[in-house]
Amino acid sequence: MIHVRGLSKTYGNFAALRGVDLVVSAGEMCVVLGPSGAGKSTLLRCLNRLTEPSAGEVVIGGRGAPRNRRELRELRQHIGMIFQDHNLVARLSVLKNVLTGRLAGMPGLAAALQLFPRADVDIALDALRRVALADRALDRADRLSGGQQQRVGIARALAQQPQVILADEPVASLDPKTARVVLDDLRRAAHELGIAVLCNLHQVEYALEFADRIVGIGAGEVVFEGGPDELTPAALARIYPGLAAGATSPAPEAERDVETKALPL
Amino acid sequence: MRRFHFLLGGTWTVGRTLRWLVLLALGAAVLWWSARGIGFSVAELVRGLPWVFDLISRMVPPNWAFFERLVKPVIETIQIALWGTLLAVLMALPLCFLAARNLSPNLLVFHAMRQVLNALRGINEIIFALIFVAAVGLGPFSGVLALAIHGAGMLGKFFAEAVEEIDAGPVEALRATGARPALVVVFGVLPQVIPSWIAATLYRFEVNLRAATILGMVGAGGIGFELMSSLKLFQYQDTAVCVLVILAMVMTADYLSSRLRARILAA
Repeated sequence: MIHVRGLSKTYGNFAALRGVDLVVSAGEMCVVLGPSGAGKSTLLRCLNRLTEPSAGEVVIGGRGAPRNRRELRELRQHIGMIFQDHNLVARLSVLKNVLTGRLAGMPGLAAALQLFPRADVDIALDALRRVALADRALDRADRLSGGQQQRVGIARALAQQPQVILADEPVASLDPKTARVVLDDLRRAAHELGIAVLCNLHQVEYALEFADRIVGIGAGEVVFEGGPDELTPAALARIYPGLAAGATSPAPEAERDVETKALPL
Repeated sequence: MRRFHFLLGGTWTVGRTLRWLVLLALGAAVLWWSARGIGFSVAELVRGLPWVFDLISRMVPPNWAFFERLVKPVIETIQIALWGTLLAVLMALPLCFLAARNLSPNLLVFHAMRQVLNALRGINEIIFALIFVAAVGLGPFSGVLALAIHGAGMLGKFFAEAVEEIDAGPVEALRATGARPALVVVFGVLPQVIPSWIAATLYRFEVNLRAATILGMVGAGGIGFELMSSLKLFQYQDTAVCVLVILAMVMTADYLSSRLRARILAA
């Protein structure tokens, strides 16, 4: 479902990604591990082109590089994205936040006037049921807890009925119990709905617990690829150079390697 | 032993003290020069005081019967402020996105829009009113246009600043769903700015109501006309009623608008 070949991204003199190759199949939960600043976020953002790649090829669900804005929106319509701080619109209801996942296919004027097709509302409610938050549909998004807000973020992505979900550190600001609920939601999305899920994490233990496959990234390159059982201490040392033997989790550190000030629409 | 320590700013070296003395002297010179220019004179104020008291004594008791004549102008003043504010909002809405650094299509448009808003804001309502009275004619509609044009500059800047302060995260999330730019604005930007936009609009209405009370002096409608004519006819007891009515209007508007703004911004 996701085919990446020779993907590179440079910022001035800094190479964030150097020739990354990656394949993720439908129904697979693939976790990307790597230290802060290794290029995990950049990799995800290059896939839905929130960041424009410098070189290389990305094919998602048969769609290559978009040639114009319409094709770009069409590409993004089929890719759900989940952010570290969920990025919900705080003042909108939970349901409306989930419905924004369907905006791309809705009649624009009606949507602007807050008229939503019943079919889209049904899909949104179904997505909310999948994350067990249907009873909160009419609450304002900022009334929910951090974990619940992140699950609304997942519902928004599911409402897109995407072929691919990109999750950028989805549990970095959540406690372990909530984190497991969120990661379980993501894994079920992959296994039950056949979505290719690519998820950045920095906790090795979560990767071992939830991943079908793990990709290790260090300094912009793939340094490990394999199943959770293949992630030996030697492999870990390649992903996290300097990590003390025996430790399973590097110091959590918020990764924000791309700062976009302007918001090109 | 020193009983006091001078602790203002940093260390007072000789050079620094001298620089400050020069600045102080310069400031004093400018003030003296300005005082000469405006004929500032305490003696004149003291000499004029009896006349001030005389005028006030002629104002009391206010001629409450005159209030009857003021009902229509008061209503007109409120109507001018309402439409002046509404038209200003309508003009500011499209401009503010172009004048917001984060949503403007490019820097040239951004700077051009900022300059347009600065120009609208820089010219006082009364000047616009004089122009519109000359162009459109005497009457409240000229006042409405004057408030609308000046207010568009003010609100455009307020609105644009609110847009610049939004959280970029939700906007990016909406872009990532493939939504069209217009819908990204409707669902990602508007919910974030609406409370501060409404607060700015309420405040603008308050300011416009104050401005509308004097538009009548240049023939642009409202209670200001009655105030002017009563002064010109030496009917000071009528003037007193005008002033009190204006005071009551402005204070009521201030009270209501600040209560409403506090409620909206708290939500």
